[in-house]
Amino acid sequence: MVVSHCRRRQDLKTNIKSWAQKNSLWLFHVNAASCNGCDIEFVASLTPRYDIERLGAQLVPSPRHADVLVVTGTVNPLMRERLKRIYEQIPEPKYVVALGACAGGGGVMKGCYNVSHGVDKVIPVDLFIPGCPPRPEAIIYGLMKLRDKISGGSHE
Amino acid sequence: MINWIFQLLVFPGLTFFVWIAFAFEWLERKTAAKIQSRVGPLTAGPKGFLQPVADYFKLIFKEEIIPRNSDKFVFLFGPPLYFSVPAIGAAFIPILGEKGVLSHSYDLLFILFIMAFSVLMASMLGYAAGGRYSTISIGRLVLQYTSYEVPLILSILAPALLARGLSLSKIVSSQISHWHVFYAPISFAVFLIVSLAELEKPPFDIPSAKTEIVAGWMTEFSGRPLAYIKLTKNLNYVFLSSLATTLFLGGPLLPIDVQDEFLKTILFLLVFLIKTFSVGFLIFIIKSALARIKIEQATSLLWVITTPLSFLQLLLIVLFR
Repeated sequence: MVVSHCRRRQDLKTNIKSWAQKNSLWLFHVNAASCNGCDIEFVASLTPRYDIERLGAQLVPSPRHADVLVVTGTVNPLMRERLKRIYEQIPEPKYVVALGACAGGGGVMKGCYNVSHGVDKVIPVDLFIPGCPPRPEAIIYGLMKLRDKISGGSHE
Repeated sequence: MINWIFQLLVFPGLTFFVWIAFAFEWLERKTAAKIQSRVGPLTAGPKGFLQPVADYFKLIFKEEIIPRNSDKFVFLFGPPLYFSVPAIGAAFIPILGEKGVLSHSYDLLFILFIMAFSVLMASMLGYAAGGRYSTISIGRLVLQYTSYEVPLILSILAPALLARGLSLSKIVSSQISHWHVFYAPISFAVFLIVSLAELEKPPFDIPSAKTEIVAGWMTEFSGRPLAYIKLTKNLNYVFLSSLATTLFLGGPLLPIDVQDEFLKTILFLLVFLIKTFSVGFLIFIIKSALARIKIEQATSLLWVITTPLSFLQLLLIVLFR
């Protein structure tokens, strides 16, 4: 009896937590040696036609305020340490989105000497959004997937 | 006594004002979105009305990172203290009658003190965080404060001069037939400009300039301290709009006399809310339509234009009253 009551309370807490998290994803964007193509598409998804603020997502200026780290570009050796540092400055729980083909696995730079072949070689990644560059629709689809991941994680 | 504590903490005190602060943030984001022809928050609750609630709950459940070179005590206990400043100020605002919960005969001076104290708390928090961006931001904040304090005090003096009293209840009761905004329109305009400067909103968002100094003095805060700071900023919004309502727009008073006590309370509350939200909406529209100016432009605007204008208004009141 007592145990089930406790579990119900625990469930309520995790439900509120996941609802709050998935409805308020604050994004911090890092350009890790990108060509600016993905960056422009990412900014386009914030503008009137697509407007990801509908889902509660917001671009925040400081990594300490952020929940989601959006990384674009082939992470070159110069950016590798900086990217790790920025990742560590984000408070838990945090999610990483690798935006674009270069961030996913090297893209057109695959095989070059000074690229990381994907953000996941440097920091753990939750979501890959492919495309060169990905369209804003793809970015919105990726955000929906991230929301599913957050609420799905709470039911386990 | 219990009634008094209920009034102070629940209605029309702290809890009530916190809920208005949530509604203000939702209205702010929706207004900014409409002006930029976007939709704004939509998925959390009906029309995205629960978006601020989601934001605060998320911040409460997040990790708190304390920087190594920060003053840990102030860093953790400063934000609740910062929150208490407008929360105490809100208790002076008359909502359900001519008197606020904590009203006394010189409360206008206390409100000026509270507004100065809010800036002091912000600078304390910024220096406690110990980051470079926070330090730059606090320098700008204090410079901006020194330039807007004089027009703020002068614009608040105009209704006090018209009502011949330094208490909010006297200012409200003197406006039962005619609002002060018709006799002191320049002071009302100056008060709106100065509130934008006090709230660090465009065109005076110099201390928290996003593209220049990251997030200003809030850069190092995360989790619960950040939630407190964000809530305080929204509460400041509500506090300043309700203060404008009280000083210039007649507060909650009605020109007609209502006998029924319950109906009177409901009407007072409704009138107060309509006026406060209208002032807030006006501030949101100005804020969303303008871009940031430089610090020397802000200083010269506040010193060279608004200060002589508010002096002129005081002179007109003294001459033609």
